[in-house]
Amino acid sequence: MTRRPRRSLALLTLALGAAAAGLVRGEIYQAPDAFVAEVFGSRPAPKVLWLTQDLQAQAAAILGHSPAQVRQRYWSDSRKSVWILEEIGKEELITAGFVVVDGRIDHVRVLVYRESRGQEVRTPSFLKQFKDAKLAPGDRLDREIDGIAGATLSVAAMERMARLALFFDRTSRK
Amino acid sequence: MRQSTLALALAAAFARAPAFGQATVDQKLQILQQEIDDLKAQARRSAAPTQQASPYSLDYSSMLDRSSGLASGGTNIVGYGEVGYGKFRQSGNATADLQRFVFGFNHRFDERLTLHSEVEFEHAIVSKDDHGEAEIEQAWLNCKMSDAVNLKGGLFLIPLGILNETHEPPTYYGVMRNQVETRIIPTTWRELGAGVHGIVGEGIRYDVGITTNFDSGKLDDPTTGIRSAHQEGQLANARNLAVYGALNYRRPGLLVGGGVFTGDTGQNGASNPALRGVSARLTLWDVHAQYRVAGLDLQALYAAGSLGDSDKLNAAILANATANGTTPFAAPKTIRGGFVQAAYHSYKRGNFDVAPFVRYERIDIKQQEDPANGQLQDPNNIERTKTFGVNFWVHPQVVLKADVQRYAIDKSQDRLDLGLGFMF
Repeated sequence: MTRRPRRSLALLTLALGAAAAGLVRGEIYQAPDAFVAEVFGSRPAPKVLWLTQDLQAQAAAILGHSPAQVRQRYWSDSRKSVWILEEIGKEELITAGFVVVDGRIDHVRVLVYRESRGQEVRTPSFLKQFKDAKLAPGDRLDREIDGIAGATLSVAAMERMARLALFFDRTSRK
Repeated sequence: MRQSTLALALAAAFARAPAFGQATVDQKLQILQQEIDDLKAQARRSAAPTQQASPYSLDYSSMLDRSSGLASGGTNIVGYGEVGYGKFRQSGNATADLQRFVFGFNHRFDERLTLHSEVEFEHAIVSKDDHGEAEIEQAWLNCKMSDAVNLKGGLFLIPLGILNETHEPPTYYGVMRNQVETRIIPTTWRELGAGVHGIVGEGIRYDVGITTNFDSGKLDDPTTGIRSAHQEGQLANARNLAVYGALNYRRPGLLVGGGVFTGDTGQNGASNPALRGVSARLTLWDVHAQYRVAGLDLQALYAAGSLGDSDKLNAAILANATANGTTPFAAPKTIRGGFVQAAYHSYKRGNFDVAPFVRYERIDIKQQEDPANGQLQDPNNIERTKTFGVNFWVHPQVVLKADVQRYAIDKSQDRLDLGLGFMF
């Protein structure tokens, strides 16, 4: 019986050793600057969308809370726009990049994920659900996004950011 | 520098006097902010860099023109709670209860190190004469080396089942948590210990570690399997530890996984001298799956376990009952249970989401009988439960619930439940 705790400790030591060997990367998957450069092939000058009271109210309706920013930086050409947005999942901010082409989401990437759980939202199988999504009446997405068990709030945050990116794109082109 | 910048900004702004003449206050503010922003950008470009950003920095707030939340440190508050009303069919009795209110503090020390905590109050009032409890549900540190490797230590939830780690009321169906993850997997089940967890590949999450274990000398309620022997981080007897491991695969709409927890629970008789030298090994495991498609939400879970040396546990229970003048009971020997559940999200509009559901559960807690000493199998420990109900989310984080439960054996538990729950 006294051997069992020793065995357990040995297992833990092994696990910690494996952990130490696994110190290979952080949680920044891509720097926002690099994402913008990748989309445009260069680093165009950012533009600024000012969030007037009216825009803030509409953004708040999408987010369920007031936007944290009074202006939103973005990058665009005649058809395409890139929005780097942040929303809190359960406890911390998720930073994601959204590429909008002709009013539809072309692709999405999670750039920084800070929490210890819920990273499944960065997997291609989740993100590809946003491909070609556009705004439906009520500034909702035109489709259902399948959730991930145990990552409910991170999924909801991604969906809110997608709607906001499409809304900002539409507003910036008026 | 700041004053001169502001002066320049004001000067530049007022140079646009014709526009100001007709502009609204918002537009004037925008013009001023734009000018200030441009001047700041010019100043940044002309100034020599004095500080190099950390390549591991998580704080892009300045770049994104917003406050940073926890990205660069800080504390936030999370919480959940639920209120329930139950009316029993046979007796006609009814109770209303603030079942739990939980709040937690999460703190980021630096880019890798975070604290997670939850404090729970059950049944509204905590005092010597009331039923309420105040307890620490979680208090653990996480060191995130990478997505694939996190180290954790403290009082944390054991990753068995579906509910134990994700138990906020809006995340499950029905007013009450299911029976299997209450009587077989003792949700909310936490232990003191250390572990390694992370996500590898496309959605495969592992979690392994070593923790404190149950103390079978503390068993006093065999109707909930091993639950009454849990120690919850309270001066836990730790002569016998446990190891656990869990593997879960998640992708949109799909969860498949399982876990195992094993270790001796005799604790060398620390709580009951009759258990000195008795292993009383507990092994508990589960497999579970969840699949969501086209509004349908299907869930199934099977959990089973065994508690060794149940004859010696019986003797210890008998000795304890004799010494204290209480009624002896039969120790649990094998525990198992499972449920299948189907829900359909029949109405979704805006934040509103309505999902009727049905669940069927089986519980089998087999006890070590010793008729000569009055230690008998409790018939209510082999139970079948059907639940029919509906969840109505008025917001993704706020839910109203109603259900009817029918028990095959203990019909005194047949009831109607109403509830509301929230998380933030």
